Amino acid sequence: MANRAQIQTNNSALIAMIADEDTIVGLLMAGVGNVDLRRKTNYLIVDSKMILLMLLSFAYEKCSLCFLETTVKQIEDAFKEFSTREDIAIVLISQYVANMIRFLVDSYNKPVPAILEIPSKDHPYDPTQDSVLSRVKYLFSAESVASGRR
Amino acid sequence: MEEQEEATGFEAAVRQAVGDEDVLRFMDSTDSYLTLLDSLSSTLRQGWLDLAIARQSMGASRINGALLDHKSHSAATSVQVDQEDVDSMEAQPRFTLRKWALVADGKQCYEEQKMGEDKFPGKTGSLQLRHRGDSQLSDEKTSESGAQLDVDDQIQKERAKLLSMFGTLISPKLRAAQLSFETALETFVEIANMRSAMLSSFDRVRNELDHQKDDTVPIPSADLVVYDVDSCATKGLFGLPIDA
Repeated sequence: MANRAQIQTNNSALIAMIADEDTIVGLLMAGVGNVDLRRKTNYLIVDSKMILLMLLSFAYEKCSLCFLETTVKQIEDAFKEFSTREDIAIVLISQYVANMIRFLVDSYNKPVPAILEIPSKDHPYDPTQDSVLSRVKYLFSAESVASGRR
Repeated sequence: MEEQEEATGFEAAVRQAVGDEDVLRFMDSTDSYLTLLDSLSSTLRQGWLDLAIARQSMGASRINGALLDHKSHSAATSVQVDQEDVDSMEAQPRFTLRKWALVADGKQCYEEQKMGEDKFPGKTGSLQLRHRGDSQLSDEKTSESGAQLDVDDQIQKERAKLLSMFGTLISPKLRAAQLSFETALETFVEIANMRSAMLSSFDRVRNELDHQKDDTVPIPSADLVVYDVDSCATKGLFGLPIDA
């Protein structure tokens, strides 16, 4: 039970973001951008160039597999960093980016920072892919309830 | 023996009633979660549209990720995390948005400063000199509203400062986009709270189900049992005792 863990209170925690360029630019305009003394940001832009590299990597699987690994690795590293930093309370991640590292997102079960899957400009939100909803949806199936009653 | 069976049935009925409440809470939070995400999609869509219009009028080179500020700076908007006790057993995080926290802190400092100056009236003149027209305002209420206006001005300045990375003369649509994304931020925090409520109630329902699986005594059906909270009595359909 993740919720039974002691929750660390924080007066001014950050909101981290892994999303497309327009979403990041918009949220930075709203004032959530933070750059620390080591020039580490609280956001990662997954831009179209990155996606293009990924598509190329899929097309030429053998010759440019390193591109794909680097790209997904960047997202993975950013996700791991944001989800372990103590000064971050909420991590916003575009759902299509979360799909690239689904294994990591689904295995995350801590209450803080809260991982929220959000829609992006080109990919609307799909509730069936949401990690939180897929974790709780088994309660809606008749079999689980029936097995509970037995 | 009968008394023991009755007690076990009563316990099961109590658990059933509590379980139903948890299920309702879980369903309610799931519904709210989905509704909020729908609202978030609309808000973000409006923000992207405004941003696209601004980009079209100002030029693509004026609005892009390359212009973002990479100098060291703190976030103007942050989140406060508190622990909320749902019951004695479990705790869930509670997120509160602190919009323009730096300005708000400044306001607090201003208020603290003002209180300090009230204690030392000799220094009040120095405060009045800083604001044009303040010498005519003796009413405390007016000075409070003046302070509020001051904070509003500060917030407007902060907003303008954040937009200044895109140049001095910016499209009004960029300001509209900024407001849309500010609204989206509020929705994000609501969704985070709803998510923690949903997961908390889900854990309780799952515990209840696991408990029921382990229980060897058959549990009475929910549609046949009415649990009376006041009298702490368990009655069957039409008020008959459950063992009758």
